[in-house]
Amino acid sequence: MNVIVCVKAVPDPKEICKIRIDPATKTLLRCDVPLVINPLDKNALEAALLLKEGRGASVTVISMGPPPAETIVKECMALGADRGILLSDRAFGGADAFATAYTLAGAIVKAGEYDLILCGMASSDGATEWVGPQIATFLGIPAVTMVRKFESQEGAAWRVLADWQNGYRRVEVRLPALLTITRDLNRPRALSFSGILKSRKKTIEQWGREFLDLPSEALGAKGSPTIVSEMSTVRNRRDVKMLRGTIEEKADQLVGLLAESGVL
Amino acid sequence: MSSFGPVWVIAEQSECAAEIVSLQLVGKARQLAEQLGVNCESVLLGSNLGGAVRDLLASGADRVYLADDPRLELYQPALYSEIICMLAEKWKPEIILMGSTFMGRELAPLVAARLRTGLAAHCTGLRLDRDNRLEQLIPAYGGLMSIVCPEKRPQMATVARGVFATPARDAQRKGEIVAVPVPEMGEPTVRTLEIVREPVSDGQLEDARVIVSGGAGAGSAEGWEAVRELCRELGAGLACTRPAVDAGWAPLESMIGQSGKMVSPEVYIGVGVSGEQQHMVGVVGAKLMIAVNNDPKSPVFEQVDLGVAEDCREFLPVLASKIRAYRESRKACV
Amino acid sequence: MIDFSFTDEQEMFRKASREFAETRVAPFIPEMEKTGKVPPGLVQALADAEMLAITIPEEYGGLGLGYVARMIALEEISRISVATGMMLQVFALGIDPFVRFGSKEQKEFYLPKLARGERLATVAVTEPTGGSDPTGLRTTYFKNGTDYILTGRKCFITNAHIADTVTILAKDENDPKAFSAFIAEKGAEGFSATHEEHKVGMRGCNTGELSLEKCKVPATALLGQEGKGLRVSMSAIGDVGRGGMVGCAIGLQTACLEASVKFANERILYGKPISALQTIQNKLADMKIDLEAGRLLAYRAAALHDKGERSSNEFAVAKYFTTEAAQRAAKMAVDIHGGYGCMEEYAVSRFIRDAFVLGPSAGTSDIMKVIVARWVIG
Repeated sequence: MNVIVCVKAVPDPKEICKIRIDPATKTLLRCDVPLVINPLDKNALEAALLLKEGRGASVTVISMGPPPAETIVKECMALGADRGILLSDRAFGGADAFATAYTLAGAIVKAGEYDLILCGMASSDGATEWVGPQIATFLGIPAVTMVRKFESQEGAAWRVLADWQNGYRRVEVRLPALLTITRDLNRPRALSFSGILKSRKKTIEQWGREFLDLPSEALGAKGSPTIVSEMSTVRNRRDVKMLRGTIEEKADQLVGLLAESGVL
Repeated sequence: MSSFGPVWVIAEQSECAAEIVSLQLVGKARQLAEQLGVNCESVLLGSNLGGAVRDLLASGADRVYLADDPRLELYQPALYSEIICMLAEKWKPEIILMGSTFMGRELAPLVAARLRTGLAAHCTGLRLDRDNRLEQLIPAYGGLMSIVCPEKRPQMATVARGVFATPARDAQRKGEIVAVPVPEMGEPTVRTLEIVREPVSDGQLEDARVIVSGGAGAGSAEGWEAVRELCRELGAGLACTRPAVDAGWAPLESMIGQSGKMVSPEVYIGVGVSGEQQHMVGVVGAKLMIAVNNDPKSPVFEQVDLGVAEDCREFLPVLASKIRAYRESRKACV
Repeated sequence: MIDFSFTDEQEMFRKASREFAETRVAPFIPEMEKTGKVPPGLVQALADAEMLAITIPEEYGGLGLGYVARMIALEEISRISVATGMMLQVFALGIDPFVRFGSKEQKEFYLPKLARGERLATVAVTEPTGGSDPTGLRTTYFKNGTDYILTGRKCFITNAHIADTVTILAKDENDPKAFSAFIAEKGAEGFSATHEEHKVGMRGCNTGELSLEKCKVPATALLGQEGKGLRVSMSAIGDVGRGGMVGCAIGLQTACLEASVKFANERILYGKPISALQTIQNKLADMKIDLEAGRLLAYRAAALHDKGERSSNEFAVAKYFTTEAAQRAAKMAVDIHGGYGCMEEYAVSRFIRDAFVLGPSAGTSDIMKVIVARWVIG
């Protein structure tokens, strides 16, 4: 069984508040926030690694990103992935979800046979959830998003539970398929020293546009239907009244105001 | 005759009525359609849809494409996307809006990829720019990004419940209903077998009059207990920001913001909340907004009506005891 | 060209160690502070995370890594809990004599178990009358048939009560210049852990006394050659022990700086965060300069060791500088916190207590200066 996991390098969510839009240039000030594996992609990788341990699946990690994203592919190898592919090329830059999915789908075809593709349900920085299902569309395979549980993994048709309003959806899906994974599915394993050492011999394949043999007008910013037309630093401003005094006095004032507004 | 195609809403039904978000989107689509001089239309798929169709027409749809068939009772990705793509290719809508519901979040990207067009996620604002392109506003990094889809059509976006107001119903409004046949497809590779409801423990945040939302400033699990305590004292809904979910204090379902719930309570009290856009966009509709944060310079204070610059770990216990005392004194008066 | 950057692999070691420390070690701190005892779950967590296996060769079930990797792990763990860093560093101290001086049989028997944490180790040199100067030791041995009989008392021994295997330094009853190192097993006749210390800091890291009353050990318990025991134990203390303290110290320096920056940005005085005040900035800059200098000394000594070069003098310099710097950092961190710095719920109150214990461990600052002076005088 061949499992492909798509991972994204994202700025560390713990330090995301450091990233700001420069009001003058309208560009992002990244402030050296380190890149980490998108948290939900770790759940996707964990699901793949469990399949590796349970039924000898081979796990390939594919990531599209700038050269520094190589570190997160390395980390995936240290966590147990067998093969790592980094898609890095200027031609891929500026891609929206659509162009990203198109490029990843092209790489997946190039990577060989697959039975299952796993993605995190969403990325912590872009906050779209589109890349997974759109890869599936480009590959012509079924997708189930927001999978929280594998109910049956026997045979060619799996049963999975996916998040739904006030409950869940029980879905039957025929492999090969793409699933996007929520944090409820598993608890990702920790990086270990011996895992890091075992990954010493693993090399990361670096693929560019030429290797993928995809038309450059379908990639990166050129291949993206959407563009960011503007960034603004506007907030929903309100005129604040700051309460003054000691902590006790502030609490008294607030109780008064809450009572006035009919909350108490 | 306008050179633009119609504005569409892919509507959803739940319990024999249209989803609120679908109606809110019809309200918005109506506005956009009038500006473009085109029809506001809706696509509705499912089974037993009479009630929902009336809701859509009464809320402003000029035409509803209706696929009412037992095979569509449950959301079926292959069939649903096939029907929508077929209709879109035939009628060439200018804009397609979908709710950021569980269905919309899966169906929208499937449809957008097949139609080879762009899709903006969880927008908090939609408007037409000077060239009549749809500007889709998304909060990002302490500001707003506007996304446009300059060439490809339709322009697609998902929007959460609560971003737009629910339009007034006009039961007299008439519209056209176009019946859509269900295409014959082979054995599907993915099939929804059933949709199971789970008992919801807490009341719906969307309906709460008062919401207390805790953030990273709660500091620890004990700190979170103080937030919970205030909630109990106020009889408020307990909500949170992303860091509180990440810390394991609160469940994801109680997260407010762009990728969580959109709420408009009468009173919102943010404690230990930093004013991050992704969270704050979820409560812009609140009437009275209060924030407690130990940093007087916190951006949260630019976005609320009342500010308390105190460490919430110290302030909340004091506040909770004052509220208790107030209640006691009221009881004594009665 | 000198390359001061960490490799990708080393950066991953740091990431793994930090994640381990923040998620697995941190939850034990309240219990450790309250009871002063070693939580069994913590030792298990250290073993599960392969922290005991770092310096053990691969053929004996270890990771076969060097001092830079160990320094990274110790720094990251001590950034969260110096007590845990100390405990871990002394496990490695206990392991080192087996790696360097153990016979093939001793290595095969002990090292895989030590790597998995099934056995825990320490080294016992210090006695009430001396430690850094071993001529003051009074623990003796004599040969009785094929066995050795050990008698004496060891004090201030880290991990005394939790170690299963202790390397004991003793001198020949008949030749006060001949020292030998022996492996004493928990439960051996006449061998017991007695008094348990209550330290001012590093609570939750065990320190205590060991008593040897005509303790009988077999000939196979001799580590290295008879009469050459000083090398066995002192080389462990010189490099492993001092190097380990350096890791603990730079971890604590980092913790002090991080806590201070966070507090200084949050605490408001005269309508501004106190980090805007020059006097506070001066302290923060001092802490940062000390940390940068300390890390350079620490990793240089470790890298020298990994190249197979002599590094004990460099470790002495680093031990002196970083433990002193950690004490300065802890003092400044408490000062920056004002009244809060005296409250136990603020971590800096723990940092200052821990900082005091760093000084005397594996040789006081004054002893380090003696070593450094000998180095320069030649």
